[in-house]
Order: sequence, then C-alpha cells, then structure tokens
Amino acid sequence: MVFSSLTFLFAYLPVTLALYFLTPLAFRNLVLLVVSLFFYGWGEPVYVGIMLLSIFIDYSHGLLVERFRDRDRLARWFVGESVVFNLMLLGFFKYWDFLAVNLSLLPGVNLPVLGLPLPLGISFFTFQTMSYTIDVYRRDAPVQRNPIDFGAFVTLFPQLIAGPIVKYKTVAAELNKRQVLAEDFSAGACRFTVGLSKKVLLANAAGELWELCLGAQSAGTLTVFGGWTGLLAFGLQIYFDFSGYSDMAIGLGRILGFRFEENFDHPYLSSSVGEFWRRWHMSLTSWFREYLYFPLGGSRRGTPRTLRNLLIVWFCTGFWHGASWNFILWGLYFGLWLILERFVLRDALAQTPAWIKHFYTLVVVFVGWGIFAIEDLGICGRYLRTCFGGGPLWSASDGYRLRSYGVLLALLILSSTTLALQIWSRTPERARRVLTPMLMALGLLASTAYLVDGSYNPFLYFRF
Amino acid sequence: MSKRYERFLSAFFCVFLGGLLAWHLVLPDRDRSETENRLLEQMPAFSWKALADGSFTEDVEKYFADQFPLRDQWTGLKARMEQALGKREFHGVYLCGQRLISRVEAPADGLEIRNLEYVSRFAEQAGIPVYLGLIPSAADICKDELPKGAESWDQAAYLETAKETEEIAGSIDFRTPLTDHKNEPIFYRTDHHWTTLGAFYGANAILEALNKPPLQITDYTPETASTSFQGTLYSTSGVHWLAPEPIEYWVPEGTITVTSWRTGEPEESPLYDRSYLTKKDKYSSFLGGNQPLCVLKNPTAEGRILLIRDSYSDALAPFLSQRFAEVHLLDPRYYRLSPTEYAQENSIDTALVLLSIPNFIADRNLVLLTR
Repeated sequence: MVFSSLTFLFAYLPVTLALYFLTPLAFRNLVLLVVSLFFYGWGEPVYVGIMLLSIFIDYSHGLLVERFRDRDRLARWFVGESVVFNLMLLGFFKYWDFLAVNLSLLPGVNLPVLGLPLPLGISFFTFQTMSYTIDVYRRDAPVQRNPIDFGAFVTLFPQLIAGPIVKYKTVAAELNKRQVLAEDFSAGACRFTVGLSKKVLLANAAGELWELCLGAQSAGTLTVFGGWTGLLAFGLQIYFDFSGYSDMAIGLGRILGFRFEENFDHPYLSSSVGEFWRRWHMSLTSWFREYLYFPLGGSRRGTPRTLRNLLIVWFCTGFWHGASWNFILWGLYFGLWLILERFVLRDALAQTPAWIKHFYTLVVVFVGWGIFAIEDLGICGRYLRTCFGGGPLWSASDGYRLRSYGVLLALLILSSTTLALQIWSRTPERARRVLTPMLMALGLLASTAYLVDGSYNPFLYFRF
Repeated sequence: MSKRYERFLSAFFCVFLGGLLAWHLVLPDRDRSETENRLLEQMPAFSWKALADGSFTEDVEKYFADQFPLRDQWTGLKARMEQALGKREFHGVYLCGQRLISRVEAPADGLEIRNLEYVSRFAEQAGIPVYLGLIPSAADICKDELPKGAESWDQAAYLETAKETEEIAGSIDFRTPLTDHKNEPIFYRTDHHWTTLGAFYGANAILEALNKPPLQITDYTPETASTSFQGTLYSTSGVHWLAPEPIEYWVPEGTITVTSWRTGEPEESPLYDRSYLTKKDKYSSFLGGNQPLCVLKNPTAEGRILLIRDSYSDALAPFLSQRFAEVHLLDPRYYRLSPTEYAQENSIDTALVLLSIPNFIADRNLVLLTR
C-alpha cells in the first residue's frame, strides 16, 4: 500500500488510528506490529514471511551480541552474521537479476534470471536492522529483549517502504515509552498533509512534464530547451516525491508518538555538491557515513585511502538506488565531483560568488538526474547530448508545454526554497490559526480529487 | 497554540478521513457509471488463492476507488484546478474555449498504411466502384482553435496519401466543405462526432463525388430532439462545466424504412431511437447505436450503396437515403463476413469505405475488407 492511495487514506489510516488510540498504552506496540504487517502484506502477501524472518534474525542476533559481549570475537562474529544475512536478503531480491544478466556475459557462466518482484521497502528495512546489531555491539543502542517491540520497530509502517532510514537508537526510548499530545497529533497531521500535497499535487504533475520531454526525445523532436525543461521537471519530481513521502512518514510517526529525523533540507539551495548531499536524503548519507565510510577509515588515513573510501561509498550509494548500470554511474559521478571539490576546486570555490556556486551545483545535480532517470545508457547519452547543444534550441511544442506547465514549474521552484517557511514564520499567529485548517482542507481536498481522478477510466464507444 | 486548538485541528483531520470512510460505507454501491460508460468494480469475493497472488487486494483497491463518494465531482474538481494552472489538455482532450477537441494520436506500427492497402484490395475484388471517404476530425478542421503549439497528428498530410490509394474509383473530399463551414457548429462541442449539420455537408460531398444532385438546406426543418447532450469528450476529459448542447433530427421519419440487425436478427426499427434521448449516450439515438448491419430503404429514389462505416454514418445515413433507394450500413467491427459477397448478394452498385480518420488509422478490423 502506498500513502498516496485512496485505500490508505480513507480506509487503512482511519481504522489504524482508531485501533491505536483505543488500545491501552501497554499494547500499542502490538497493535503497531499487527497493522504494520497488514500494511506490508497488502501488496505482496507472501513477503510477510521475509519480514518475519528478518525480525527473527535481527532480534536474536541483537540478543547474541549482548550475551557474548565479553567474548569480543564471538560478538563480532554475530554482528557479521547479521550483516551478511541482511546483505544477502537485499542482494538476492534486489541484485540477483542484475548480477545474473551481467555475469552471464562472461564465457561459461549462465545464471538464470528470476524476475522476482522486489519486496517493498527492502532497501530501507535491511539497512535499519543492520544498524541495530551494529549499534548494540558499539553500545550506541540498548538491546531490545521484547520481540514485539523489536518487531514494531522493524515494521513501523510510516517509514517502512520509503524511508527515512530510522536508526534503532533514534527511536529506542520512544519504543519503550511514548506519549502522544494533542500538539503531536495536530503537528503530525499538518506535516502529513503537506507531504501528501507535495507528492500528489506537485510531484506527479512534474512527472507528467518529464514524461512529455522524454516522449519528445523518443519521437526525435527534443530541443535544447525541452531537454533542460525535462531535467528540471524530473529533478523537481523526485525531490517532491521523495521529500513528500518523508514528510508523510515523519508526520505519521509524530501522530503515533515517534520523532524521526529530518530527511531533506531544501537541497536545491545548496552551493556545492558536498552541501547538496548533506541536505538530500540525509538519513541515507549519514547511514553510509556512520556504517561504511568511518569503518573504512574515513579520511584519516591519507589521501589514497580517502579516495578509495570515497569511491567505495559512492559506488554503494549509487548501487543502493537501483540494480542497474546507470545508478552505479550516477553514484560514481557524484563521487568524482565530491573528490574534485575536496582536492581540486576547494580554493577556487571559496573565491567564487555565491550565485555562480549555486548555479554550478544545480547544473551538476540536474545533469546527474539525467543519468539517474534514464536507465538505458544509450538513450541517456543522446538525451544529454541534446541538452548540451545537440539539437534545435526551441520548438512550438516547447511553447505549448511551457504555457501548460509554466505556472506549475514556478510553483515547484518556489516550493523547493524556504520562501513558504519564511512567509509562514512572519505571519501573525492569529492569521496562522485561521489559515492552518483552511490550507489543510485545501490540501486534503485537492489531493483527494487528484487521486480519484487517477482511477478515472472512462470506457468509451470511442472507436466506433 | 492552545490545547483546544490542537484538538480541533486533530479532529478536523480525523473527521475528513473517517468521514469519507463512513460515507463510503453507507453509500450503496453502484453497478455502472453513466459518465464513464463502464461497469464499476464490485467488492471482490475473498479467497486464499486470490489473497496469495495479490489479486484480492488489487481488486479491493479498484473497488474502493470505483465506489468512492462523489466520484465524478472529484474528477471535475481536478479538471478545474488543472485549468486554473494553465493546463489545456485533459486526458488527451484539448479544452479550446467553450469546446473540447480530441487529440489524434499517431498511429501505431504502420496500421494507417496497411488499412489503405486493405481498401485497395477490396476495390480490386469487389467488382463495383469503391470510393474512399475519410472524415477529418475537429482536430484538423478546427485546427486554429487548438491551444497554440498543441500537438495532434497531421490528418491533412494523411489525406493526401490516401488520395493516391490504388484501385479506388475516387476519394471523397470532406475537408474542403467542412473547412468552408468550420465556423458553423459542424462538430459537437462535447463529443467527437459531427453534428447533423456536419453530416449534411458530408452527405453533399458524397453526392457530388457520385454525380447525384445535392440536398438543399432549405428543404429541412430541424427538430431539436434534445438540448441536454453531453458527449464522449465531456466524459473523457472530466471537463464538466461546459453547457450541454442540442441534438437535431433533420430528415423526417416516415418516408424511410429501416431494417436493423441490432439484436442479431433483422427487424423493423425507427430512424431515430428516442429511448436513447433519456440516457447519456444520446448520439446513439441515430439509428439506435452500434450494430453489425442496418439497411435504409427509400422507394422514391434510385441506386444501392454500401457503406463500410463507423458511427459517423449514423447521423449521415438519413441524408444519403434521400438519394438512394437502399443504403446498406456495414460495421466491420460487428459484421465479420465478406463485404464483397454481401455486395454481390444485395446487388449493390456502389461501395464507400467511410470512416473518420482517428478511427480508420487505429481500426484493426479492416482486414475483413479483403475477405
């Protein structure tokens, strides 16, 4: 189930909230576990088994690590076992087909392509549970002895399928004891509505524009202007889609009494590629920093090791986003820019005016989106070549698209800045009190209209 | 902010979600949607097998969406918001001021050329003169009303290609007369068909090509059969705020007898089936909608013509029957036998393949012409 569906909004969510708040505090984690498993099983019921297995393995390994804490080698062994299990789970379901296809290119190798559907959220929950055993070992988090509480953490439906990646230590205290004040509920509801509107109203519309530009590319009518419009639209789509989803997760978490960490901080305002990654999908960047980059030695062991570590981390970051060459390329592309910024451009950037740095960052990031968005590297190359002058500058269709999507693009761009927040914080409280429910109603009504329209499917005696 | 206010906001959120759920539960399920012209999904029966393969939950989602309270109104609201944002295209339909025009999509895998070849082979084997009449849609005739820069497949260029079709006795030029009258209501504003007026000009284009005397507009007193027609484009687009429009009958009933195969068997039927006027699908009142075969007889005229046709001919056939003793309408989607044999058995002297361009370039049944 996805948050932006009618079934979630108008059936699952009200029923779940009613159950949750009617249950005494002591049993709320059990309710959470049950409703989350239901949420998870909705799309792919057989995969509930994988989820239960994952809970069991990580729960037991947490206990084992704690039990053998005095015998460090054994404790390390169990941490390793849990990490291997999680990576194998991820590797099998997410990367098997990619590896099979590419390894079969080698002579004498012939691996079958399985075509299994990807279990929902597997990239997220495997990372979360891995961090749990590691944190227990590092004494960053207490061990969880109650399997229901642990299960509730792993399956917690707000962040289960699209993040943010919630580390166990962030919610450990709340998992055992939490309360929901009216303030939490209302703030969570507002945050959820904002996220829903971002996803349904903004991201999907930007996606349409991107599809139009991609369509122009395959029809051979793409222009330079259209190419950049497409990259802009895709970058805005993925930002509003992903950050909208994070907002919904954070909002729902708050309603249920959890405080998740922020995942996005206006990344398109960054003035360097490094800054962009400190503002974009922050929970992933920090996960890789904490559990991969630092253990590899980070930047403390000389330049060659730093370079190697950076390349490993960015290879993994790219590959995490999808089992395909373009994602690997995308990760390494950013790795290279970060290395450049760190070792070559640092002094030059320090003397560059802010607006040029901002422009440079946006160009790097949005060209990156081109690599991210188009899996077929041949098409991707042709698309980017058009953007950089390999086509006519402008056509009448660009004008039509601009008229159709211009207002929206302006809205999207303004919404990706802090403008709305600034205006909001300067609005007098009395006005805010009136505006909040009105905006909430507007967001909910408009989102519902778009969602219902999405299922609108007239069958017409159209052909005859 | 005060606790009371926080509670109010929380309650507001819950009432919106829970309220619509309650409404959904209380609202009786509908069988079909008139607007969408399709059966709506019903609550699926539970089975472990359906649950395991995921089809159960998928069907529940469809059911939940199909039976959502105020379904059509939500869609209308969305279209309104899109319009406010500057969008002029709604599910493949352009909003052009106070009217709707359907975009014509480029045909897939060379079908538009293959269909011309089928016409050519039909003309070769039929043994009677075969004409080709391709009716350009509003997206071509009223091109200058489309939003600036809006794309639609080039029908005019295609007509030039179609003229060159081998073996045919000639092609009917609808484009010139329709373009001459493009400022008159020749296409419905909310439907993809031509109006009775458009069909009148169309009929004269055919008569002219076949050297028959033209019909005179002054000979008709139009009857406004309905003033509340909202057509297919109204449904597809979700643009529900345009005024409904009239449907007119020009050719009086009585002089013409109609035999229709609507039920699969020949039976007497009216020129205009007025029962459709109380339904959404009012255009189907012309000859009573989709059917494999329909024959119009007029004892006062001469000649037998066979139309291989789509629904544009429903409004046109009454006019043609003024100049032909027999007008045979054969719809290749439902009539699966050989048109050549049909023409021989019924002593047809002229055949006309008459379809609108959007239908012709997408129709996968025209291979039947070669039977």
